[in-house]
Amino acid sequence: MLNLFQLVLQIAVILVAARVVGFLFQKINQPQVMGEMVAGILLGPSLLGWVAPGMSAALFPPASLGYLNALSQVGLVVFMFVVGLALNPTELHDYGHAAVLTSHVSIVAPFCFGGLTALYLYPRLSDDSVTFTGFALFMGAAMSITAFPVLARILSERGLLRSRVGTLAIACAAVDDVTGWCILAYIVVLVRVTHAARPAWVTIAGSLVYVALMLFVVRRFLPAFERSFRRHGRLSDNIVAVIVVLVLASALATEWLGIHLLFGAFLMGAIMPKSHEFTSYLLHKFESVTVVLLLPLFFAFTGLRTRIGVGGGAAIWFYSAIVIVVAITGKLGGSMLAARLAGTPWRDAASLGILMNTRGLMELVILNIGLDIGVISPAMFSIMVLMALVTTFMTTPLLEWVYPSRLLRAEVEDLAEKSVA
Amino acid sequence: MLLVGLPVLGLFGILEVGRSLAAPLSIGGEWTLEFDPAANCGGPARLRQPALNISQSGTSALIALNDGRATTIDASIDGSTVAAKSLTATITGKQGQRVLEGKMDFDGCAPVAFRAVRQAPAKKRGE
Repeated sequence: MLNLFQLVLQIAVILVAARVVGFLFQKINQPQVMGEMVAGILLGPSLLGWVAPGMSAALFPPASLGYLNALSQVGLVVFMFVVGLALNPTELHDYGHAAVLTSHVSIVAPFCFGGLTALYLYPRLSDDSVTFTGFALFMGAAMSITAFPVLARILSERGLLRSRVGTLAIACAAVDDVTGWCILAYIVVLVRVTHAARPAWVTIAGSLVYVALMLFVVRRFLPAFERSFRRHGRLSDNIVAVIVVLVLASALATEWLGIHLLFGAFLMGAIMPKSHEFTSYLLHKFESVTVVLLLPLFFAFTGLRTRIGVGGGAAIWFYSAIVIVVAITGKLGGSMLAARLAGTPWRDAASLGILMNTRGLMELVILNIGLDIGVISPAMFSIMVLMALVTTFMTTPLLEWVYPSRLLRAEVEDLAEKSVA
Repeated sequence: MLLVGLPVLGLFGILEVGRSLAAPLSIGGEWTLEFDPAANCGGPARLRQPALNISQSGTSALIALNDGRATTIDASIDGSTVAAKSLTATITGKQGQRVLEGKMDFDGCAPVAFRAVRQAPAKKRGE
């Protein structure tokens, strides 16, 4: 039964922890979202459950977590719509050969490295309810993802959005995310059809019909929202409600088909009209509640499922080290090498590799899906969460080292002068 | 072409090699327990069904007893044997119809024989 007092208390504690740790992380030049992710981990068995198990059990009893999960899932549905909305993969065409090559290699190289790691980890951290193909593909997808929203925030906070590296990174990350989610949808279908009562062909054919409907039917009606926005300078509450209902309907369709709620929300965002004013308005409308209230709940729920360093002994730390090294080598190394081979200067290529290595929040979303469908074990989940934290944390200091702020400012000013001239 | 094509080919090779790998037997999920009725011990009566909730990560497992005290036991899986401080069992049956048979220790009793049947494979582990 719902204990409302406990749920409200949980939300309050999570929000305070997220804001405080987020503020502390900002003090060390990390994005706020990095601190919020860490706050979630600190509230789970990795810290609170370890140092104060009594308090942890009283505050987050297992029976109460269903409600927290439900709220965080609703938040994620809206958040994935926002991510889809912010994406504009057509921008890639503007950045030429370097962007096309880097975005492809930054998916394929870590994917391959992930598969290679799976050869070692499958007999140690998986079980026979999961096929090697499912495990390896999931590892590949999880290694190749880039956190588009976190990346955008890091670039914005450092004033890098209009730099050469920044625009290239955003374009590559957009392509990475779209590709990554398509691959993940395939993996979810692959894993779920082996357990589902529904025949595989229904899921596959249904998914194709759904995507076709979204791209060729629903998409044709969406510019009407943009026209209304242009006419009135805002969207009425009724129109915003219609957009929310469309997001929920799309999410429900993909869940019913056996893919996942989040894919539907993401696709709805991706097919929305992409004019800058319209997307900025919608982002502003949806982001505040999602980012301030609901995402910290997701981080906390993720943290409650993560057991960094609890159980497993030295072997788990060894596996974690392998995963972190492989993830960095595949993503950072692959992107950097591809950009360099496409003629990008070394400093820019290295910066691009560092930025593409940011996994952050999107990695946590994917890992939670993996744990939900049973393709990764709880220990593998914790290792990958640690990897996501490390790769996100290292972005800002490494970027400062490779591309100091004074050089960046000079480059941005130079570009601005050239555009004025 | 080379930068993308070669890793893709490599991935196919990896998937082919990986097919021959064997992972530990799956025991994750909720289990109902039946104890030897001849056992003269009060311990089993404290357990409510499903009596075991197993969270598995490869060859390690965390067994949570549904005894109202949230007792957990660390276990290891070696082939078809599950071994823990107060439990030893053998895994039998195919994936999806798995059975655990063995002995469990309770305070003040001789080890009690049990047979456990999995309710459903662990589709949502970690929940």
